Amino acid sequence: MGDHAEGSALEELVERARGLDKHAVSRLIGVFEDSRPESAPRRARALDLLDTAAGGEASPCTVLGVTGTPGSGKSSLLARVTVEMLRAEPELTVAVLAIDPSSAVSGGALLGDRTRMRSPLDDRRLFFRSQASAAELGGLSPSSFQVCRLLTRLFRCVLVETVGIGQSEADVRHLADRVYLVLQPLGGDEVQFLKAGIVEVPDAFVLNKCDEPTAGRSYHHLTASLGLARPFDAEPPEVHRTSARTGLGVPELAAALLDEVATGTPRSHAEREPHFLERWVDDEWGRQGRRHLAEALGGAGAVLASAGGFDQAQQAFDSSLRAALAGG
Amino acid sequence: MSDDTPQERQAHRLHDADGEPVRDRPWIIRTYSGHSSPRASNALYRANLAAGQTGLSIAFDLPTQCGYDSDDPIARPEVGKVGVPINSLDDMHVLFDEIPIEKMNTSMTINGTAMWLLALYVALARERGVDVAQLTGTTQNDLIKEYLARGTYIFPPEESLRIIAEMYEYCLEEIPKWNASNICSYHLQEAAATPTQELAFALANAISLLDLIKERGHFTDEQFSRAVGRISFFVNAGIRFVEEMCKMRAFGELWDEYCRDRFGVEDPKYRRFRYGVQVNSLGLTESQPENNAWRILIEALGVTLSRDARARAVQLPAWNEALSLPRPWDQQWSLRLQQILAYETDLLEYPDLFEGSVVVESKVAELKRDAKAEIEAILGMGGVIPAIESGYLKSALVRSMSERMTAINSGEQIVVGLNRWTEGLPSPLLAGDDGGLFTLDESAIAEALGNLDAVRAARDEDRAQSALEALKAAARDGSSMMEPSIECALARVTTGEWAGALRQVFGEYRPATGVEGQKLGLGGDRVDDLRARVQGLADRLGHRPKVLVGKPGLDGHSNGAEVIAVSARHVGFDVVYSGIRLSPGEIVQSAVEEGVDLIGASVLSGSHVELAQQIIDGLRQHGADVHVVFGGIIPQGDVEKLKAIGVEQVFTPADYELIDIMERFVAIIEAGAASGAA
Repeated sequence: MGDHAEGSALEELVERARGLDKHAVSRLIGVFEDSRPESAPRRARALDLLDTAAGGEASPCTVLGVTGTPGSGKSSLLARVTVEMLRAEPELTVAVLAIDPSSAVSGGALLGDRTRMRSPLDDRRLFFRSQASAAELGGLSPSSFQVCRLLTRLFRCVLVETVGIGQSEADVRHLADRVYLVLQPLGGDEVQFLKAGIVEVPDAFVLNKCDEPTAGRSYHHLTASLGLARPFDAEPPEVHRTSARTGLGVPELAAALLDEVATGTPRSHAEREPHFLERWVDDEWGRQGRRHLAEALGGAGAVLASAGGFDQAQQAFDSSLRAALAGG
Repeated sequence: MSDDTPQERQAHRLHDADGEPVRDRPWIIRTYSGHSSPRASNALYRANLAAGQTGLSIAFDLPTQCGYDSDDPIARPEVGKVGVPINSLDDMHVLFDEIPIEKMNTSMTINGTAMWLLALYVALARERGVDVAQLTGTTQNDLIKEYLARGTYIFPPEESLRIIAEMYEYCLEEIPKWNASNICSYHLQEAAATPTQELAFALANAISLLDLIKERGHFTDEQFSRAVGRISFFVNAGIRFVEEMCKMRAFGELWDEYCRDRFGVEDPKYRRFRYGVQVNSLGLTESQPENNAWRILIEALGVTLSRDARARAVQLPAWNEALSLPRPWDQQWSLRLQQILAYETDLLEYPDLFEGSVVVESKVAELKRDAKAEIEAILGMGGVIPAIESGYLKSALVRSMSERMTAINSGEQIVVGLNRWTEGLPSPLLAGDDGGLFTLDESAIAEALGNLDAVRAARDEDRAQSALEALKAAARDGSSMMEPSIECALARVTTGEWAGALRQVFGEYRPATGVEGQKLGLGGDRVDDLRARVQGLADRLGHRPKVLVGKPGLDGHSNGAEVIAVSARHVGFDVVYSGIRLSPGEIVQSAVEEGVDLIGASVLSGSHVELAQQIIDGLRQHGADVHVVFGGIIPQGDVEKLKAIGVEQVFTPADYELIDIMERFVAIIEAGAASGAA
């Protein structure tokens, strides 16, 4: 296939994806998940086409992170909340990116979120994609950022679902404009919430399974521990109470998310890119790469600015480091 | 005996109360059957009764079991496949035509819609002028094992248990000889439960149910004791028949102890472990299927040999069950086995043969001890419901299944004709015009659909609607749903409408899948090679190969699919596991959105051809190019049909080696990648 033919195939794909045709969106995500070097120019071209089609305006997409421990019921909750959001706001479009851990041994992953998430059939306003974290720390897949770059240009809201949040799983906050932590009622006291080391990162909390009898006490323990763990917050963070089973609190949570989509301040792509470029350098080149980025190239921000895009910056870094190594 | 010389009581003879030597009455002899339509099933039942069957065991089709009308889109491919479709009271009139229900012992394998089927049976009796109190039989109605193994649940656990409890409350006074539910360990063994697990999970289930009934406070102590006496069990008997016999003795002893110690039941007759049995189907093989006849015989011995632990009702599968539904002749053959055992042999002349056996007593003691520890562990979690919701029970079963498959794969567990002595002469049993298989009469299915339209057109619509409103009101306010259900039946409400009304109030349940946390015995060089090949594919495709494993249609036997899902992850695939009861449209949407390379669909209901067609058509409509493979109980004759539709590989019970299956998955994607790159 020649360059020209391939170029027009990509154009057609982008056009269909803009209409949220499911197969086209899925294939385009495939381009952004593709780990082969030759896919970088196709990504750059696809984003170019999308930005041109949007008239150069930055896409008004809000990225919301939803994270929680296994068993907290976040998938079931998200299933209900997204349907409720779409019901309340007919113009809304939502993509869910659900990330599950991979096995360190086989490299494979079991992506089970779909079991809980019964999407309505053939509704283009909702798109659901699972990803494996590929044994990375940080709770995100190496391509989660890439895929988000695409989805934020296609959908009004992107929900990124990750498992667990602790020191190493907090990466979602670099991707999302706002992070929600889903918890389930605990049997014990506030020390459990504190020990879990999870209350410092999120912007808001959701206590799910509030149909359970211990939920009332857990709610008070949680609000008490937030006061202890986050003494410098000007205001206490939001704590929503829900039950994915009975639907309790779901309309209220959906309304809060819609409010965030409508009035929140989404970060621009430029704000997110330096972190993920650094991460990519670290994954690919380790300490030597980090040193080269900081010392020889003046940091991620500088490379991104001069290269004119994320994929271009990756290519620029790659050739710069290879040249340095060859020269050295 | 009025003789003046009293006959000496001999230890090896059975005697009645007067000291007369007697022979035991045989157990109830049944065959699990039903298919196509109420009319066709009625003809089958009458033929079986004429052939000497002494009770009925009704198989319902999956839409009836899951609470859908025959014309519901998700139901259509499954109508009449694994049992009879029942849409309304009119169908019940046809199903029991010329069968005297007041004299019949009728067992219904029905769970999610058990209350509805009982209501239909009661309504049938009322319209026929039969005294409801005379009805005898069983509604299976064990939702716990549905969550764990069989999959035809509808409502969440709490609501399901409420329905069961309300049926006990209704039956105790109104239909005193009816078993409102049947605690099933049968399906646990089909899901590869060990004897200890079978004992423990079934008894924990029964204990939790009685705890709940007691807690509801509807019964006096005297009534509660009688209710305990109505608890019956439905068990399985596998090929290790000595251990199975001991398991039955352990069941009896443990149940007696729990009834006495936990529930304070004084009268021993209410503590008796009453059970029916269907012998094992899991161990029946597709290869050399004639061998299954011997397996069935041996398994029947396990539950009949010992008088103290003998089944009250027995149903046997047919030799060709791994291939298709049985034909009438196949059922007759199994029926004859029971008759020979019960009437021709001397089995029923003796007291218990194993009383005082050191070996048997020791084995029973071991099973009891292990089961008791497990029961206490489950009760310690708060009972069987928390143990289900946390996924504890399901994971244990999925683990047992993978261990079983590993043992067969490695040859450690011998299965004749499957992993040993696999060369055999062609079976003449498969040589007839029909290939030894049953074929459904499609016109009978069309008839069922026609009847449904007729019922809806002829009924008093206002009466039907107000009956449904009354049912919903009872569901909401906590009063008994039994009478409102009977009124629904009389008002010609349909199965889908009855279940739909309760779905509105209770919601539908999605259980823990059990796919996590299991150990798989796959290891060694072949796994390492396969992982390297999967990594090679990942490098070439630019993404780790992704497969979707799911179960389209209504059959809920999910453990096999779960083992495949876990195996696929084990060799390095990213696996989207999408669970059970999916419409073909949902499978297609998942595959398209996820951008999978391969769909593995598992179907055990016999609807594979229709479902494959709908999945392939759906993929084409999206323009998606995805490999599709099918697995399940698929007759050889359908394999070519599936391939013509576009299914690339078909896995049957003969393909039991997980590593082989995984190698074929990888080969399909490799071939696709090679031709795509060209």
